[in-house]
Amino acid sequence: MARPQSLSLPAFLGVDVGGTFTDFAWLEDGRLRIHKVPSTTHDQSQAVLAGIREMGLEREFRLVHGTTVATNAVLERRGARTALITTRGCRDVLEIGRQTRQVLYTLTPSRPEPLVPRELRFEVDERLDWQGEAILPLSQEQVRPLSEELRKRQVEALAVCFLFSFLNAAHEQQALAALKGGQWFACASHQVLPEYREYERTSATVLNAYISPVLSKYLRQLEKRLGGTRCEGARAMQSNGGAMSLAEARQSAIHTLFSGPAGGVVGAMAVAKAAGQSRIPTFDMGGTSTDVCLCDGVPSSTSQASIAGLPLGVPTLAIDSVGAGGGSIARLDVAGALRVGPESAGADPGPACYGRGDRLTVTDAHLVLGHLLPEAFLGGRMPLDVERARRLMAQLASQWGLGTEELAHGILQVADAQMARALRRVSAERGYDPREFTLVAFGGCGPLHTCALAEALGITRVLVPRYPGILSALGLALSDVAREYAQTVLWREPSAWPRAETAFAALEARAAADLGAEGVLRESWEFSRMVGMRYQGQSYEILIAAEAGSTAEWVERFHLAHQRTYGHHNPRGAVEVVNLRLRASAPTGAAWAPHEHSDVGAKATSDRLVPIWSGGWKHVPVYEREMLRPGASLSGPTLVVQEDSTVLIPQGWQAEVDAFLNLRLVRVEERAW
Amino acid sequence: MIPIPRPISLEIFRHLFASVAEEMGGVLERTAYSPNIKERRDYSAAIYDPAGLLVAQAAHIPVHLGAMPAMVQALMQRVALEPGDMVVCNDPSVGGTHLPDISLVMPVFVPRRGQTVLAGVVANRAHHADVGGASPGSMPAAREIFQEGLVIPPLKIMRRGELDEQIVAFICANVRTPEERRGDLAAQIAANQTGARRWTELTGHYGLEGLTQAIREAHEYARRATQALLNSLPQGSWEWTDYLDDDGVERGRVPVHVRVTIRDGTLACDFTGSAPQRSGGVNATEAVTRSACYFVLGCLLEEDAPLNAGCFEPVRVIAPSGTVVNATHPAAIAGGNVETSQRIVDALLGALPQALPDRIPAAGYGTMSNVAIGGWDAIRGQPFAYYETIGGGAGGSAAGSGASGIHVHMTNTRNTPIEALECHYPLRVRKYGLREGSGGEGRHPGGDGIEREIEILCSAQVSLFGDRRITRPYGLRGGGKGAAGTNLLVRRGKERRLPGKCTLQPQPGDILRILTPGGGGWGRERKQR
Repeated sequence: MARPQSLSLPAFLGVDVGGTFTDFAWLEDGRLRIHKVPSTTHDQSQAVLAGIREMGLEREFRLVHGTTVATNAVLERRGARTALITTRGCRDVLEIGRQTRQVLYTLTPSRPEPLVPRELRFEVDERLDWQGEAILPLSQEQVRPLSEELRKRQVEALAVCFLFSFLNAAHEQQALAALKGGQWFACASHQVLPEYREYERTSATVLNAYISPVLSKYLRQLEKRLGGTRCEGARAMQSNGGAMSLAEARQSAIHTLFSGPAGGVVGAMAVAKAAGQSRIPTFDMGGTSTDVCLCDGVPSSTSQASIAGLPLGVPTLAIDSVGAGGGSIARLDVAGALRVGPESAGADPGPACYGRGDRLTVTDAHLVLGHLLPEAFLGGRMPLDVERARRLMAQLASQWGLGTEELAHGILQVADAQMARALRRVSAERGYDPREFTLVAFGGCGPLHTCALAEALGITRVLVPRYPGILSALGLALSDVAREYAQTVLWREPSAWPRAETAFAALEARAAADLGAEGVLRESWEFSRMVGMRYQGQSYEILIAAEAGSTAEWVERFHLAHQRTYGHHNPRGAVEVVNLRLRASAPTGAAWAPHEHSDVGAKATSDRLVPIWSGGWKHVPVYEREMLRPGASLSGPTLVVQEDSTVLIPQGWQAEVDAFLNLRLVRVEERAW
Repeated sequence: MIPIPRPISLEIFRHLFASVAEEMGGVLERTAYSPNIKERRDYSAAIYDPAGLLVAQAAHIPVHLGAMPAMVQALMQRVALEPGDMVVCNDPSVGGTHLPDISLVMPVFVPRRGQTVLAGVVANRAHHADVGGASPGSMPAAREIFQEGLVIPPLKIMRRGELDEQIVAFICANVRTPEERRGDLAAQIAANQTGARRWTELTGHYGLEGLTQAIREAHEYARRATQALLNSLPQGSWEWTDYLDDDGVERGRVPVHVRVTIRDGTLACDFTGSAPQRSGGVNATEAVTRSACYFVLGCLLEEDAPLNAGCFEPVRVIAPSGTVVNATHPAAIAGGNVETSQRIVDALLGALPQALPDRIPAAGYGTMSNVAIGGWDAIRGQPFAYYETIGGGAGGSAAGSGASGIHVHMTNTRNTPIEALECHYPLRVRKYGLREGSGGEGRHPGGDGIEREIEILCSAQVSLFGDRRITRPYGLRGGGKGAAGTNLLVRRGKERRLPGKCTLQPQPGDILRILTPGGGGWGRERKQR
């Protein structure tokens, strides 16, 4: 599979599996083609193959896959039967977690069941101290018999996590060696997450063991199906925004948990960069929730992501989710406030205008206000019942003493307020002011809300990609191959820091071996070295670029970064190095080129007016997105309709079509893009 | 602009207000120095209106909920606040919870018609790992507040935007880990400055009148929500008494008595009949007692309901002065915040099953099992002070079994990871697990407590402050009691039982073994056929 790249670049196909649709983005010589097929939940690879067939892909191509197989295995608790081996005294670390409850004001706190039940958690004698020295050797007498025990209990996956193994992996390696040869998948914590904090590291290792066999089985099936196509290599997307080989994915499924949303962020960055913007919040609003991620040149990342209450520990793009989407249900609470979500009408019964349910949603509000054209929804495949939505909206409004449109407008305002809060929080956490950023709106509902949200945040520039509904698939097609490596070192004394050179060299050797196996050209490899630093006594570190310069310069950069992120720094404070991180990446050659249209500058024309409500009814022009050519400009209020979304451009906003057919929106008083 | 109807503006402003408090909390957590604040999240951040009424609080520690408004209001009366000022305070007689909880309060002034006017107040409170006193961690079994650490009356730590280094120096000179305190105070200052900046922006955007109107509506809304809840509950009056083991200095159970009355949209919690204030540090300030009542109310309200001053309006708390639920100066109070607060909740919940049989759980573990260890770290050549609380079992309820090894009610602080603890302190954790069989029996059993074994590698001083070592968490509807907690010292293989509240000087190699209580069981166990 890992063939060296030939001179003529292959085509690239991004395939993103969603709950309802599987999306395809095909890049051939810089040209983009898209496609959608219904998802096949029992075997996602069926839809993948169906899409490839329908698109008639005759040229050799490389595929990057965003799959929810591992994610669903966690959410639905259908992972492998997993056992855990851990240091004596630590069997319950996985269950106690951080001893906190998720809901503060509750009399009956609960927490997710651990993925490994108590009877499959085994303790053995061994111990390292805080400097990685063994103070008690691993008891082989206790480890060896576990082999039989695991067999007897039909264990399918094994996680090994010992205290301080991030400093010294010897005991974990010995345990893995002693338990080799079973029919189980096995991984140890120094492989999955060699960083300190035993609960998070155990959780990551257990998660990886729990889902890797499931993903592995699926990928075998996928490869079998791809065998009959012109696919000459497939990769899996990771939550960190880079792709990895399927062979690697089988070992480290934990990295695929947020692959779809990560694809969206990569796609949004690609679109923004092409438009000359690199500081963006992404705003991906779908049916049930909204994902946001702040990017300043590169997407922000975090090691604090969790799934269903279980921490991942591994680095992922820092994507925050709010329970507000097109299907979010509106209700008046007991004391008279309008609430929207988190309860969602989903796809079935769906919003009231789908004709089945009675509960009003964000989508119904848009329909009532004229933002959605009932006959054009999903390209006309799903006509919406505007009368029904209007009748129910009027009923509810009169119960609450509001006008029909007033209520519908209020539902949108409340949804916007929730999303603005999320965006403010992620900005503040990283020390940014959102006003300096360009909002990139996608997902089915993002382009409807983006201008209102921008106004709430004081943002004056918005970008709506040509295909907001498949941006994630485009991001997959464009993604680099990327791997991340980390090593916790806890170096307090600057005298120890020069050891970083040797340690980075070791990480780079591992990275070189991995990228070599990925089959990407050596000339294109990029290694970026970072160190996590903090003031002594702090417990969270800031990542500082460590490629160039002396260790004294790291300290300078750290003080600056601390000042920028937190608004203060202590030039006399003692600084320590917590961990080393290496990101190894290589572009695949996938590229997306601007459109060459002969009719550049052509005027946008509209042959119809529709009424929309904004404090009163007003007729506004409607444009077909596919008719818009580079250079065309539009003034709000207006609507732009397309198969997978609708762009609402309110009064006070001006839009221009760029060379990639994206819509660039600006507040009129802010003409400079 | 289109005028916004009230149901909509209520919700929009709810998110705006919460957003400011959340940003403050985010800054504090990320910039603090001590693991206690960063890892364990033992802090709160909040905004208040110009009258000192709570507008929004970032939800972290319930015990701060009712206590911070009391301090903000007291400060506004006692201190002449000017633009750029910030006040530091931990004084229990001005709304303090206990001495390690240091608050920073900052008025927000905005220009208006050529003058500057008060537009609101931002404040945050964080638990500092040491504030001096008789033992490291400032949780000694004391007889007077003076043994518990440095009392900081309201002092301007910033005047017109300038930090008063003398005050910082004075505080730092009286604590065991001055550099950590300095860093944590800087983080608290940064958090308030963030909050003030955002509040000023909001005032600019909506106007002072607009914002004042929105706050008033938010308060009225919260009051309506609370009254609607209270009207939906059975009306009547119920009482209950629960007990603390002792006060840590003198023997003898300490009763906490409450009569809960729900009538006509009001809730009254009358603690008349509770013990007179004690020599040992189990005395709670009135602010703590108030917080416990608000916590119970907060749990009964709809999830995600805004908790602000309006919720507190229909609530009357009667806590007679000079009792363990409203101690007067100079009573020792370190444990009132952590131990008595839990017992006050137990008493309130004990009274309520008669009204709400399906919503009230059996008693949770009912203590925070505080551990403070400090001294000179001979391995790293520096002083150290470590403090944490240990969770236990939650009570069973109609909804199901109680969770094991978790924090309930008045606290929700995270544990210190073993690997973080051993990297920072001369300590080694030998066991951290669930204490099997400690949950009370029942159809829905109580959750199990925690067993934590810490080996002490240097000579050090240890303070333990835990309750429910004698009395046990009650069961409900025929469910069994949770097991009592136990503190043990293991020296050369021999175990010695320690009192629940004590200070000791272990030798290097000694092992501290703490077994926390299980939760009470709910419902009679069905007989096996």
